[in-house]
Amino acid sequence: MTKLLITEITRMGPAFCVIGLQRENEKIQSIRPLPSFANGWSHFPHRRGDILECALTPFSGVKPHVEDRVSTRGFTRVTTVPEAETVVYLRKSELAQSLPDLFGCAIHENKKGSGLFAIPRDAKRSICGCETQNLRLELCANELRATLALSSGEVLRDLPVVDRDWRDFIDAALAEGRGANRTARLERFLNSDFHYKIMSCPHHFIRLGLTRPFHDLCWLMLDTLFPLPKHEWLQEF
Amino acid sequence: MTPLPTSRPDGKDPLRRLVEECFHREAGLSAPLPADDVDLIESGILDSMGWVSFLRTIESASGVGELGSDLNDRAASFAAILAALQTGGSRASGATRDVSPRPISKNGVPAIIPGSSAAVGSRIVPSEEVDRAFGMPPGKLRGRAGIESLAYAAEGENELTLGARAAQEALRAASCGAQQLDWIIATSETHHDYPSLSAQLHSRLLLREDCGALDVGGACLGLLHAFAVAESLIRSGQAQTAAVVTADVHSRTLTPARVAGEFGGLFGDGASAFLLRRADSADQGYQLGDFLFGCAGQYAAAIQVNDTREGGLDVKFDGEALSRAAITRLEKVLAAVELRSGIPRDSVGSFATHQPNPRLVALLAKQCAVSPKKFPPIARTYGNLGSSTCGAALHAALQDDSNRRQPIFLASLGPGLLFGGGWLTPSDWTHTSALRSV
Repeated sequence: MTKLLITEITRMGPAFCVIGLQRENEKIQSIRPLPSFANGWSHFPHRRGDILECALTPFSGVKPHVEDRVSTRGFTRVTTVPEAETVVYLRKSELAQSLPDLFGCAIHENKKGSGLFAIPRDAKRSICGCETQNLRLELCANELRATLALSSGEVLRDLPVVDRDWRDFIDAALAEGRGANRTARLERFLNSDFHYKIMSCPHHFIRLGLTRPFHDLCWLMLDTLFPLPKHEWLQEF
Repeated sequence: MTPLPTSRPDGKDPLRRLVEECFHREAGLSAPLPADDVDLIESGILDSMGWVSFLRTIESASGVGELGSDLNDRAASFAAILAALQTGGSRASGATRDVSPRPISKNGVPAIIPGSSAAVGSRIVPSEEVDRAFGMPPGKLRGRAGIESLAYAAEGENELTLGARAAQEALRAASCGAQQLDWIIATSETHHDYPSLSAQLHSRLLLREDCGALDVGGACLGLLHAFAVAESLIRSGQAQTAAVVTADVHSRTLTPARVAGEFGGLFGDGASAFLLRRADSADQGYQLGDFLFGCAGQYAAAIQVNDTREGGLDVKFDGEALSRAAITRLEKVLAAVELRSGIPRDSVGSFATHQPNPRLVALLAKQCAVSPKKFPPIARTYGNLGSSTCGAALHAALQDDSNRRQPIFLASLGPGLLFGGGWLTPSDWTHTSALRSV
């Protein structure tokens, strides 16, 4: 049996993608448990910070999704660690200071429009944490996008935000029952209070991931943003 | 106020044409155009990443920022985009604004360039000699970068003398007296002294005391920054005539003692100068169009130069990453200039771009599917002249009789990665000319 600290739950279309941290001796590495029949879970009832017991095949996935492991049994929750402690472990796993370090390969710019991608055969992993100098979330034509500056000063624009909790928070903020001008209020929040709440948080941390190859390219996305959104923030705007 | 065109010679609504061109860039030329009310995401024509990418291309091509924000709560359709472009444009200008691609999109009288010049260091050094000086195997600059020789400043030459020489020749070419200048705008990536280069040029050229002197940065992008400032001063009526001068003497900054390896060997010394004048009907010359600028920060680490405490230079230069970034970004800038100007690249006479080295220029021409002969060969003979590369290329393009009646595209880059583009059209040029020439 393997113990996984769940660090990522992302929305990928109708399914959820899950990543956890596994400790092997002194090394902490990311593992992506998968059902045997798909690349995602249609239902995943656990939360970030849960430590789950599971059985995984030992074979790693194809590049760059080398973290993939097929789960052969269900998950059993052992305990839950607080958000700040989860980030402590994340900082000890895959970590990059600059753009080429993220996935061990060159990152390319979309020549036609926006977005950044890696060549699947070049990338050595599909998930990595990084320290950020700054971060901005915006709604772009109903799509949640992130722009961030790495500690190296390199800027990544228009990354799709797939973090389940943040996507749920945005959906809740735009829910019909929240009155008029919801989008404008949310944008105002993202441009002001959000920035303070996130950037000043001692356990602010993000992880970036690569999509599955699509037309032979893996696109960068923002998988996880700590701190996680608080439901009570909805009362502030 | 100048009335703005609302339709193009081909009879198509310019906004729709722009949206359709951007759509084809995203979805491919073979993708059929959807009906206006079709939701591009729900119908599966674009995924959410493609949708945002498509909008960013439109933002860049139209100059209307925050289009994505305007489209929140709206369907992902052509109809929504066209409506948002109209309202977005209106909000930006406070009045009905046509965001269609066109040569002139701003109020006021445009600027023309009646005179230009370029000067290079008078010591022409074979690249093999530079290879040896920088500790590289002889033939490396020629073989890998395509640089045959470099222009180095001789004793007695510096940014001031080269810049002043170019400026005087540009004034002479335009039959313009120095006392007619209202502004001199200088840019240099190597001149860090005080008085600044513009102030020194002001004195050297004996300009009027009430002629303003301004220095702008941007390194290799400096020329376009300076053009944008000068053009704005003229268009707003604050100046009738302005000179833009670039001057860079790398050979005294990037010396073998301070910078080892290929980086230092790429650069030569040169200057360029352009006279800009408020256009009137009698003037002949190239007219400046719009400019677009930005900063692609994902490439910031590819080139960084810092002074060290010991008086040396700390150069971080990832040549491969920078080359890739330069080509990608220059191609994107030229594509955006093409969309925004409405001038097909096939009808462009010259591409006055930054030239990091001749190999990259050839690659850029190939990527853009245009003849490499349309890029005046500056770096091959003189090396990368910094902010003066684009200037020397533009001067060469303006002098070239073979493309005298065709538009010129500008595109350049600076560390950051700063980028910018623009275009010039002959004063009697119309879009019909482009249609005829294709």
